[in-house]
Amino acid sequence: MAVIAPEQEQQELSPKDQRRFDRRQRLSRWDVKYSPYLYISPFFILFALVGLFPLVYTSWVSLHDWNLIGGKGDFVGFENYATVVQQPLFWRGLRNTFSIFLLSSVPQVIIALFLAAMLDANLRAKTFWRMGVLLPYVVMPVAVGMIFNKVFADQSGMANALLEKVGIGPIGWHSDVLASHIAIATMVDFRWTGYNTLILLAAMQAIPQDLYEAAVVDGAARWRQFRSITIPSLRPTLIFVIITSTIGGLQIFDEPRMFDQTGQGGSDRQWMTVTMYLYELGWGAQKSFGRASAVAWILFLIILVIGAINFWLTRRISGTESSESKKGAKR
Amino acid sequence: MSSVGMIEQTAGKGAARYAARRRGNALGVGSNRRGGWVTYTLLTIVLLISFYPIYYTFLLASSDAPTIAQNPIPSLIPGGNFLDNISRVLNSDIKFWQALWNSIVVAVVTSVSVVLFATLAGFSFAKLRFRGRRALLVFVIATMAVPTQLGVVPLFILMSELGWTGKLIAVIVPGMVTAFGVFWMTQYFEESLPYELIEAARVDGCNMIRTFWNVALPAAKPAAAMLALFTFVASWTNFFWPFIVLGSSNPTLPVSLQLLQASYFKDYSLIMAGVVLATIPLILLFIVAGKQLVSGIMAGAVKG
Amino acid sequence: MRTSKKSWVVLTTALAGVALVASGCSSSAEEAGSDATATSGEPVTLTLATFNEFGYEGLIEEYMQLNPNVTIEHKKAATSNEARDNLNTRLAAGSGASDVEAIEVDWLPELLQYSDRFMDLTDPSVEGRWLDWKVAQATTADGKLIGYGTDIGPEGICYRADLFEKAGLPSDRAEVAELLGGASATWDKYFEVGDQFMAADTGAAWFDSAGAVYQGMINQVQNAYEQADGTIIALENPEVKAIYDQVLAAAATQSANLGQWSEDWTAAFQKDGFATMQCPGWMLGVIEGNAAGVEGWDIADVFPGGGGNWGGSFLTVPEMGEHKAEAKALAAWLTAPEQQIKAFQAKGTFPSQQAALTDEALLSQTNAFFNDAPTGEILANRANAVTVAPFKGPNYFAINDAMQQALNRVDVAKTDDPASSWAKFENDVQQLG
Repeated sequence: MAVIAPEQEQQELSPKDQRRFDRRQRLSRWDVKYSPYLYISPFFILFALVGLFPLVYTSWVSLHDWNLIGGKGDFVGFENYATVVQQPLFWRGLRNTFSIFLLSSVPQVIIALFLAAMLDANLRAKTFWRMGVLLPYVVMPVAVGMIFNKVFADQSGMANALLEKVGIGPIGWHSDVLASHIAIATMVDFRWTGYNTLILLAAMQAIPQDLYEAAVVDGAARWRQFRSITIPSLRPTLIFVIITSTIGGLQIFDEPRMFDQTGQGGSDRQWMTVTMYLYELGWGAQKSFGRASAVAWILFLIILVIGAINFWLTRRISGTESSESKKGAKR
Repeated sequence: MSSVGMIEQTAGKGAARYAARRRGNALGVGSNRRGGWVTYTLLTIVLLISFYPIYYTFLLASSDAPTIAQNPIPSLIPGGNFLDNISRVLNSDIKFWQALWNSIVVAVVTSVSVVLFATLAGFSFAKLRFRGRRALLVFVIATMAVPTQLGVVPLFILMSELGWTGKLIAVIVPGMVTAFGVFWMTQYFEESLPYELIEAARVDGCNMIRTFWNVALPAAKPAAAMLALFTFVASWTNFFWPFIVLGSSNPTLPVSLQLLQASYFKDYSLIMAGVVLATIPLILLFIVAGKQLVSGIMAGAVKG
Repeated sequence: MRTSKKSWVVLTTALAGVALVASGCSSSAEEAGSDATATSGEPVTLTLATFNEFGYEGLIEEYMQLNPNVTIEHKKAATSNEARDNLNTRLAAGSGASDVEAIEVDWLPELLQYSDRFMDLTDPSVEGRWLDWKVAQATTADGKLIGYGTDIGPEGICYRADLFEKAGLPSDRAEVAELLGGASATWDKYFEVGDQFMAADTGAAWFDSAGAVYQGMINQVQNAYEQADGTIIALENPEVKAIYDQVLAAAATQSANLGQWSEDWTAAFQKDGFATMQCPGWMLGVIEGNAAGVEGWDIADVFPGGGGNWGGSFLTVPEMGEHKAEAKALAAWLTAPEQQIKAFQAKGTFPSQQAALTDEALLSQTNAFFNDAPTGEILANRANAVTVAPFKGPNYFAINDAMQQALNRVDVAKTDDPASSWAKFENDVQQLG
């Protein structure tokens, strides 16, 4: 991989060499100062093209009475925002989004963490187990939707057939609010748990062994090792997993949409999420692109707030334990 | 050249010692524990759950429409129509081979570009000090919070202004960098690339790009491999944007396979045969990349 | 440093190059026709966007042979919903629509509001080609025709002869038509026979879904939800409430409580779930697929409350296209009776053209799965029985959607009783205003 040979060090400096050395020093300073911007520039250049324009466009749309097909109408200021927050459906969507998000993300991250810890052990046939965990990620969404529709069908589904055998009455997966959220959370976790497991595993593998060795000398129990060494060392990755799960979870769209044949979130909007509501406003019967954009921006702000809270929490939790482990090491 | 040796040359003795220590860990020397039967049992259960839907897809693909209609829960023994259904997919009018080629092009180009750009940016964000670093990083992360459904209309306007509608580049360019990738590489570098390595490389006279190339990139290999895999799969299964901007005349695989559902009665044996065909390349990728990926992870942070 | 910067530049260009080369290879078809002018006779490439099965594959070949200067690029979407998303995005962006765009009757009204985005296709040469109510569906208030009719979905009643026998009812298709009232069949009669059927306790329900039956009934009301000027009258119109109450009263005993197209609905075909359902021509294929291996399905030449239509599509020519004259000619040719008969033979799409309904090829069509019923003749009769073209204004689909959900809350999810569900429906409709 490394193809560039190390440069020859200059041993003695003639005046000419001295100038070269100065130039090198200057270049080096520039290098330190400006090359970071060079490295991050591809992202920002492309983002400006394909990300920023849609963002600005959408915010412009959200301030107008804007029909998807009819196009721009009057400038209405923040009226679209005021209208949508007065709609009961918006709040119902928000409730469902948070409920599905909590029901899916919390177990997902916890399971992923434990699975990763298991896979981190010295196993036979490591590749097999690791790849196996990631298998659901390659299943095409159309197949995932179909399979889970069959499993959670109210009258003919496998879930209710199995529950009946253990004496639990049929559950209204498509009528009860909580049941529908649990079913959707299952669908989400099926596809994404393995993915997060591997991310955490990659980070666990990078934890220096001597930290564990010190703990073994200390006679720390396995659980304690996990809690005071593994978790704190994973902090950046945990932050990553939690932030991306938060963003993905609050934008959840595909799974609840696939959950029944109409894709509208149930006859009583039992599982209609904010993004589904946004889509219905913009592309459904109303075709109100302005209001849909307003919902998108409100959701964007909500995600930022929740993301910031989660970031703070994660830092705090793993941070405290980190200092604990330092104390432990001293002892 | 052995990696430790190379690091010693390029990054100094301290770094080499550090790398050796890490490899020791990865090779299982003094590994803290071995998996017990509880671990194996739990993992087996997880694996069965993971594997079932793929097998289920295959079961349906090997069956036929009446059998599927009559048995909501299919028997675990595959039927005999697998090759029949596969050839029905290949012979139907959905431009399968063109779609396969398009998907490969899109997935490969986006994966390579995402990994390259994300690694560069991630390295800068995690390990270099520059003005506005934190603010820019927060901005990158915040861009992920923009609901994607809404971007479709402005993005389509942009693509038709550029004259790219119907062309693969309209799918490739928006996928060439992801905030996700930048964030992921940043976090990985933060936790697994020690400053001492970079300092050592700098002291030895490496400039920034060479430090990146010789020290950071090798260290990032496992994370970069995972990012490549994730990007590849995400691009491979992406439906909505390719459908809108390309359409069925120049499709990617999900767009073309969707046409198998184009009738009032859905023939699931045909649809699932299409899904199997589309999944085989991913599984092959898994088998080929899997070994690389896992050994990459095993080698810990530094491998040349 | 110079070397490394260079390598960075090389890499970027190489990558960009790969992207360009890779995408350049498949764009030839797209560019081929963009320079062509709109005058006839010169080479022109037309794009045609359809969804599902229109049965046009052979016809496109034929048209290109008849018109050597025309190349047709056919873009297909799998479902009507996807086609709708696609067209909406292009209309919103103001570019990229195909020269001829197929539109389903379900989302035609929302586009009728923006009829200026579509070419007026009125033409003496096509006058009288279609059934009147089909033309009415695509005509704006000021008389502009934005779409040429392709297929329709005239409805009969599909039923399970074996379950009818089990319940002691006549099972021959002519007798069943009589039983339901023949030419003067009413919904009262349909529910009355339903009571008889349920009394026999066969274990099957009378119909599949309250929402489906409601849809058949409301489609026979001229102005159900809106007056011709767009004023919403859904909540005041006594007919709407009466139909709602009647359907739910019947559904309490006669419905299989299934949401149409749901997994349970599909599975019910294999489990003797219900004895009758409303049956447009395209539904025959759905039943045959879902009920594979089940014997006893038949179709009766009758429909309660007069005729009924479910579904059907149109070909439109968006104004943004570059070759509108050629596109119009193509749409007119494809929707001529001779061509629609061929499409019918290819994919079973039932033609909406007057002349096609008396065509021998259509009338002689039978269906083995439905006990060799003369489906061509039955559906042609059913098409002629349709008298009402219900008015569908800008809010029709939002209101009807809310109504379907109101019915499903009671019939399928059972989260509400008819009164509380109606209250929620009222609330939904008021939100629209």
